[in-house]
Amino acid sequence: MEEFQPKIVGFLCNWCSYAGADLAGSTKLKVPSSFSVIRVMCSGRADPVLAATALLRGADGVLVAGCHPGDCHYREGNYYARRRFALLRKTAETLGLDSERLALAWVSASEGQKFSEVANTFTEKIKRLGPNPMRKKISL
Amino acid sequence: MRKKGQDTPVLVIGAGIAGIEASLLLANSGRKVYLVEKTSYTGGNVIKWEEVFPNMECSTCMVAPKQQELLASENIELLTLSEVEGVQGSAGDFTVKVKKRARYVDLEACIGCDACFDPCPVEVDNEFEAGMTKRKAIYIPCAGALPNVPAIDTENCLRFKGEDCEACKEACMFEAIDFAQADEELELKVGAIVVATGFDVFDLTKAPQYGYKRFKEVYSAVEFERMRASNGPTEGEIILHDGQPPKSAAIVHCVGREEKGYCSAVCCMYSFKFTHYLRDKVPEVKVFELHSDLCIPGKSYQKFYEKVRESGVEFVRGKVIEVAEKDKQLVIRYEGEDGKEDTLAVDMVILTPAIEPRAGSAELAEALGIPQGDDGFFSGRDLELAPVDTLREGILIAGCAQGPKDVGDSVAQAEAVAGRILSLTR
Amino acid sequence: MEKKIGVYLCECGPNIAENVDIDCMLEAVSSIEDVEVAEKYRLLCSEDGKEFLRESIKEHGLTHVVVAACSPKQHELTFMNVCEEAGISPYLFQLANIREQCAWITPNKEEATEKALRYTRAAISRVRYHEPLEKKETECSPDVLVIGGGIAGIRAAQSVAVAGRKAYLVEKSSSLGGKVKEFEKLFPHMNSASDVIERETRDLLAKGNIEVLTESEVEEILGFLGNFQVKVKGKAEDEERELSVGAIVLATGFELLNPEELLRYGYKKSDAVYTSLEFERMNASGEIVLKNGKTPSSVALIHCVGRGEKGYCSRACCLYSLKFARYLKSRIPGVKVTHFCSDLCIPGKSSQSFYEETKEMGVDFVRATGIEVAGDGEGVTIEYEAHAGARDSLAVDMVILAPAMEPSRDARKFAEILNIPLGEGGFFAEEHEKLAPISTPAEGVFIAGCAQGPKNVADSVVQAEAAAGKILSTLILGKRLELEAKVSHISDAFCTGCQTCISVCPYGAITLDEMRKVSVVNEVLCHGCGNCVAACPSGAASVRHFTFTQVYQELEAVLR
Repeated sequence: MEEFQPKIVGFLCNWCSYAGADLAGSTKLKVPSSFSVIRVMCSGRADPVLAATALLRGADGVLVAGCHPGDCHYREGNYYARRRFALLRKTAETLGLDSERLALAWVSASEGQKFSEVANTFTEKIKRLGPNPMRKKISL
Repeated sequence: MRKKGQDTPVLVIGAGIAGIEASLLLANSGRKVYLVEKTSYTGGNVIKWEEVFPNMECSTCMVAPKQQELLASENIELLTLSEVEGVQGSAGDFTVKVKKRARYVDLEACIGCDACFDPCPVEVDNEFEAGMTKRKAIYIPCAGALPNVPAIDTENCLRFKGEDCEACKEACMFEAIDFAQADEELELKVGAIVVATGFDVFDLTKAPQYGYKRFKEVYSAVEFERMRASNGPTEGEIILHDGQPPKSAAIVHCVGREEKGYCSAVCCMYSFKFTHYLRDKVPEVKVFELHSDLCIPGKSYQKFYEKVRESGVEFVRGKVIEVAEKDKQLVIRYEGEDGKEDTLAVDMVILTPAIEPRAGSAELAEALGIPQGDDGFFSGRDLELAPVDTLREGILIAGCAQGPKDVGDSVAQAEAVAGRILSLTR
Repeated sequence: MEKKIGVYLCECGPNIAENVDIDCMLEAVSSIEDVEVAEKYRLLCSEDGKEFLRESIKEHGLTHVVVAACSPKQHELTFMNVCEEAGISPYLFQLANIREQCAWITPNKEEATEKALRYTRAAISRVRYHEPLEKKETECSPDVLVIGGGIAGIRAAQSVAVAGRKAYLVEKSSSLGGKVKEFEKLFPHMNSASDVIERETRDLLAKGNIEVLTESEVEEILGFLGNFQVKVKGKAEDEERELSVGAIVLATGFELLNPEELLRYGYKKSDAVYTSLEFERMNASGEIVLKNGKTPSSVALIHCVGRGEKGYCSRACCLYSLKFARYLKSRIPGVKVTHFCSDLCIPGKSSQSFYEETKEMGVDFVRATGIEVAGDGEGVTIEYEAHAGARDSLAVDMVILAPAMEPSRDARKFAEILNIPLGEGGFFAEEHEKLAPISTPAEGVFIAGCAQGPKNVADSVVQAEAAAGKILSTLILGKRLELEAKVSHISDAFCTGCQTCISVCPYGAITLDEMRKVSVVNEVLCHGCGNCVAACPSGAASVRHFTFTQVYQELEAVLR
């Protein structure tokens, strides 16, 4: 049987985490191929609606990554991301979504290693959780 | 200083944080800027650190947008591996001789894939990493350096010793390596010149009592910063030579202060940062700060000091007599406040050396025809009222080239220099 | 509009081509709807690569372009320029990162190819919904308002008042010079402070395009970068001026902490205790004489008064206390001078020699904590704890306190008027402590001198010049302000006027249109972070180039 490769979507902020992911690339670290990155300008842009939509559309896991608290390029966007994310996790169950499939991480532009670790660890976690039950419920 | 007609270009010497800021402001106002940098990379000293005080902000993340803006700017011509050799003329009308050393790698063709490093047979100490790791003769100083294009070190490359080695060229898929490049002598016509050459640190071997290079677990601040850096030799782990984290560490303030005759303004603060690094990475470590007067100026620094103090570091006021080694530990013998001698045994000693003007400042001062103080820093026309102007009209100074200071004050001076040039020249 | 999308796959030499099956990708991509042409190229960012792109775009009459290559952080701008040169909007372009975030991190070639294809499809899906954004510009005033006529304000006004610009210098009191005009000398060179002020003021007034408004106060400031409307009230009741400026410099200076609250220093309890400013004035008058008419024969200089309470070091006091020692030594031969401090703060290349030379004049230094001034009659006793833990005392004729430097009493007023925060110590908060020390979160509003934080004259002058540097490089004569294109937009059809976006905008870029009760984005101030979008409950807010639809298309494509 083919091993389950979880489809994970990462919303990465342009200034820190996307740069960190690029650095992981420049230093030839490994990131799971099933992990897809979508660039946004700020983690504050990563709307809970986007994260919920991703899960509803069959993503097995959603990661939001931004600058470390205090380092946000737009001053405080990441603080809002943190709050919204906490709220989303709480309300996820009500929406019929597994809050364990949501993750938030702070990755700076020089943390290529950390990005690779975060991506791999989260992928492993989702593998253990299994495929998102939403996938079967919604036909595209 | 006013010259009617076209806006004249500006020469900025040094692509550290002060040079970058001055260049960006001038470029944004429409002026053409020649940014001359001695090394192959931009960012100066600031990009060597993992974090900056007092907020422990990621240093490279902080500087990266500025470096990107610099590289993308249409008005800034970045001349790396270049040095100023002489200046003629006067404000508004300078002719500057610049020696531009060949990189031997085409900046346009190279895509930064690093394939040329492996095959190079020459290995030398990496100066950027304070000699803690090796690099090849074709190299970039660290992961993430900008521009992300290697340079060939002509002092160590075999070709420059008469051998016909082409290992790097053979490995390059983009034909980016060009041995036919040659050093160039440029003549630039500019209206104003900014000296932003930054700093070096006091040579710790000149103060042998501190044990630097005599005992292996005595580190300079520069080495310790590189150790803590995520893109450094240990990927940010604080470990001794045996690979284990230290159980205790002492940070010694004011090293070289007596020899140099001034306080370097930033060392107390970065010592507190070091305590933070240590306790963050090695939670159980016992930290001592061995200091004289604590220099914590300004509205936002004392809070950081208090936070660090509360984290359980021991502040010891005293003057180091000598550092010795005994039973695999370092023993610091010092004179306490009361004049009595005491000792402190630790696994690791970190020295905070005084800030000095860059090596080569005397030559540059002569080439530019501007005075230096006895301390070697470039002199302002009037310390209180015209700190960034020099005695030669049209030549200004900013950042640590002018005197030891932190990043915020360096950037303010860089902006001030841009202000002087934009308001007084055309 | 019929879409003709051109898809270009960059091999990046072996960097991508070795790890990704480009030919397989080409085949797959060619069959996607709207894709007019799909080509591969060895190195698209090279000169001939860019030429190839330009020609191909024109040849096929493309409307949109997708390039699959390296990171947008490397070459997004490069290819956007190519599009513009080829005659299509640079915003109808999307770059798929199949190098740093695909080829270089995926060892298995099949997986890498599949991922590269996924990203390219996502870019194609997304680009279909891109809009050809307009680069907008706005008029701006080149003139500058400087608030505060101390040394920083004077220098800022002098520097910005270049040909074609006007500077307004508004000063509350009747004369220029701030605190510095009350000093006799400036450390470390001990040159005459009054000469300095006289010269600076003369130079200022000699400049034709500076208007000085003394005995005036700023009452109201509306607007934003490039377009501030300011109301200034004069001394007379009906005197009011309206100024239009493009930028503002806050140089409101400092006040000293009133040590009367700190009972242990005996200020106002004993006539022998003076603050540093009182001593400066006394010394500048020509004679150092106590209130009882006697000349002091012993003086104590107490550092760090109020430092513990305020929580910061005022940076200039150790040095000016040394200056005071010199004043005393030069006016009163034989006077005994003793400094009481816990840590001497003398940073910078000239400060230590200033200290050492002062010490050589026969000045004593006592490292002490727990300092108290006892006695209320003539002469007082300094009681203190020296390092050994024992308490000691010293009787003196005169005590000079170095109280903490606080922001001007007007700081709060301006913080409110301009909606900028007060930071540490109540001083104006800078935009970024390291990289933008004299900018504020309000664009076009700058801070200089002690308004930003306690400091000496040299550093105040630097900051004043720095403010000029920022202003002269932002508001350029004859040029309009160029605005960021990828800004937020709020649809008034969907906006319910809940104002949530207003409360989360880090730049204060959103205001409420009182008439229509909807939020409006100021495109001059908006940075396009998208926080308002995530906060908006009705979906009225969207960021251009990062709309929900655009991001959703990318999302859906990667999940397929």
